[in-house]
Amino acid sequence: MFPTLRLTMSWLHTWAGLVLGFLLFVVFFFGSLSVFDREIDRWAIPATRFAPQPMPSYDALLAPAFARITPDADDLAAARSRADGDLSAPLPVMDFSAYTTHRDPVLTLYKSFALPEPHVPGDHIHGHVTLDPRDGSVLPEGQRAIGSGFFYPMHYGLHIEWRGLGYWLVGLAALAMLVALVSGVVIHRRLLREFFTFRPGKGGQRSLLDLHNLTGVVALPFHFLFALSGLVIFAAIYFPAGTTLLRPLADADAQRVAAAAGLPFAPAGRPATLASVDAMVAEAQRRWAANGRAGDVGFLFVNHVGDANATVSIYRAGTDRVALTGDGIHFRGTTGDVLRVDPPQAAPGRINEFLTGLHLQHFRHWLLRFLYFTGGLAGCACIATGLVFFVNKRRAAAGTVATPGLRLAEVVAIGTVTGTIVAALAMLVGNRLLPPDLPARAAIEEGVFWAAWALAFGHAAWRLRRSGDALAARRAWRDQAATIATLAMLAVAANAASTGDHLLRTIGAGYWPVAGVDLVLLGTALVAALTARRLAGLPLAARSAASQGDVRFAPDGIAR
Amino acid sequence: MTTALALASLLIGLAWLALAKDTHWQQVTSTRLTRRRRSLLRGLGATALAAAFALALAGDHPSIAVLVWFMGAAAGSLAVAAVLAFRPGWLAPLAGPRSA
Repeated sequence: MFPTLRLTMSWLHTWAGLVLGFLLFVVFFFGSLSVFDREIDRWAIPATRFAPQPMPSYDALLAPAFARITPDADDLAAARSRADGDLSAPLPVMDFSAYTTHRDPVLTLYKSFALPEPHVPGDHIHGHVTLDPRDGSVLPEGQRAIGSGFFYPMHYGLHIEWRGLGYWLVGLAALAMLVALVSGVVIHRRLLREFFTFRPGKGGQRSLLDLHNLTGVVALPFHFLFALSGLVIFAAIYFPAGTTLLRPLADADAQRVAAAAGLPFAPAGRPATLASVDAMVAEAQRRWAANGRAGDVGFLFVNHVGDANATVSIYRAGTDRVALTGDGIHFRGTTGDVLRVDPPQAAPGRINEFLTGLHLQHFRHWLLRFLYFTGGLAGCACIATGLVFFVNKRRAAAGTVATPGLRLAEVVAIGTVTGTIVAALAMLVGNRLLPPDLPARAAIEEGVFWAAWALAFGHAAWRLRRSGDALAARRAWRDQAATIATLAMLAVAANAASTGDHLLRTIGAGYWPVAGVDLVLLGTALVAALTARRLAGLPLAARSAASQGDVRFAPDGIAR
Repeated sequence: MTTALALASLLIGLAWLALAKDTHWQQVTSTRLTRRRRSLLRGLGATALAAAFALALAGDHPSIAVLVWFMGAAAGSLAVAAVLAFRPGWLAPLAGPRSA
């Protein structure tokens, strides 16, 4: 369709980037926040501001807590159409699980319940509680863990639950990221020569393009691997062969694997009691230490609960390596005998483990965690500058009055880039200002988030209502940057006022989860305020001259 | 500690590689880059990056060391680009004596 590969790739980069860039920005922004999801949780739920805890005693603490878990109401309601049996009677329990990392002070326990007479064999629902591992007390459910419970699901599912559409949109965005990266490398004429190049003095489009190239190229391995590993993590959603067409084959394989491992695939149907799980944990830790891999329990899984075929699987926390967990040891539940020690994985399993682990990052490495955050923000900057570059370039070509399509692109760009940040900050401010015992508090916090986002879009549309000229757009960007600065400072102030944990105290006590969130908020406020001031102060004539003067467009339409 | 040294080595190595490019060399020293100096800077840069990888391996499990190196290189490149854009003079000590 175009005479050269470069032109074809340029077209592809522009349109894949524009159409899915908005989505991609949201995914990257919330992905960056998810790097510190646990820390944001601590900031948002003051009752959980204490040191991370290891997996507590099963026999003393977890067993009674598991026993009390009932099915989640939402899950139960959603299951009514999936089973013919009586859902009001107590449901048979399938398994218990608990997962923790070196950053978790509180522990969430999960329990699966089998559906009676399900339409799909094996269909089940879940229940959960979050408890304080120090004394086993259950935390109230009304509070939303904003980091791991809202920002993180936003990153991978956009909170669009209808038919799992959110996962598919995010997958499409990840695919677009891969396309944009490869096509971007092809159309970049001086990738190596301009590797370190950023010329802020040149102004306008030249600086934007420099920043776009710089943030895209230097973090290229990060961008590529994260888009790819994100797709790998959800491969079973994007290629659901194992639960659809090839289900019989997948089931047969699962049975074969279980048989080969010596682990019972199905319950025996005879009730039995569990031996001491604490003794099994001690044995697992003894074996890990004997292999030079002493470590903590990351994941604990009890299968076929209450049955003669019960098994207990104990996995080592991957604190010091990329894999999430590993070195699984499986015990016979009734006796505590070791049934199986997982052998080292074969190559495909290890690649999967590496890709999943590097993306989900549950290891203990604060430097790497901050580097990931930097990489994520570089991705945000790359996408945002790409969107703004596109709009500016089109406007320069269209003259002073923007076409409706261009105006729409600009409104969406403003609502997506600054609007997303406004929404996230508004949610944090709301979290600290709402009374702690408010019923439906989590739902109200979410309402604040969506309302703030809608307002940001509305504001951009209002600013650009008459003409999409550069001045109107700049005012919209400036207003929202100023809003970001205000909200970020307000969040820090609200945290100090509502909990007394101001920066002097948290830094003094070395409590970095909350101090860190506050410091990043202050940094955000500073950058946003400087940006707003610059946008307000720059005379339009100088800016548009600079923006149009320096980037030369070759006859093929590629910016030089 | 070794991880911090790895990061420092990455930064210095990337700065050397940047100096080995004509435009950045001129930004920092206002002189022309000789061919000999360019080879020297590239060699030094590559050595520093390799040393950084060795240091990263000494500090962490290999699977994590790889990530530290790549992510450190990304953040380091951003830092070098920012220094070149706003304070190019800071790299002058890495350019070596005036004539060589």
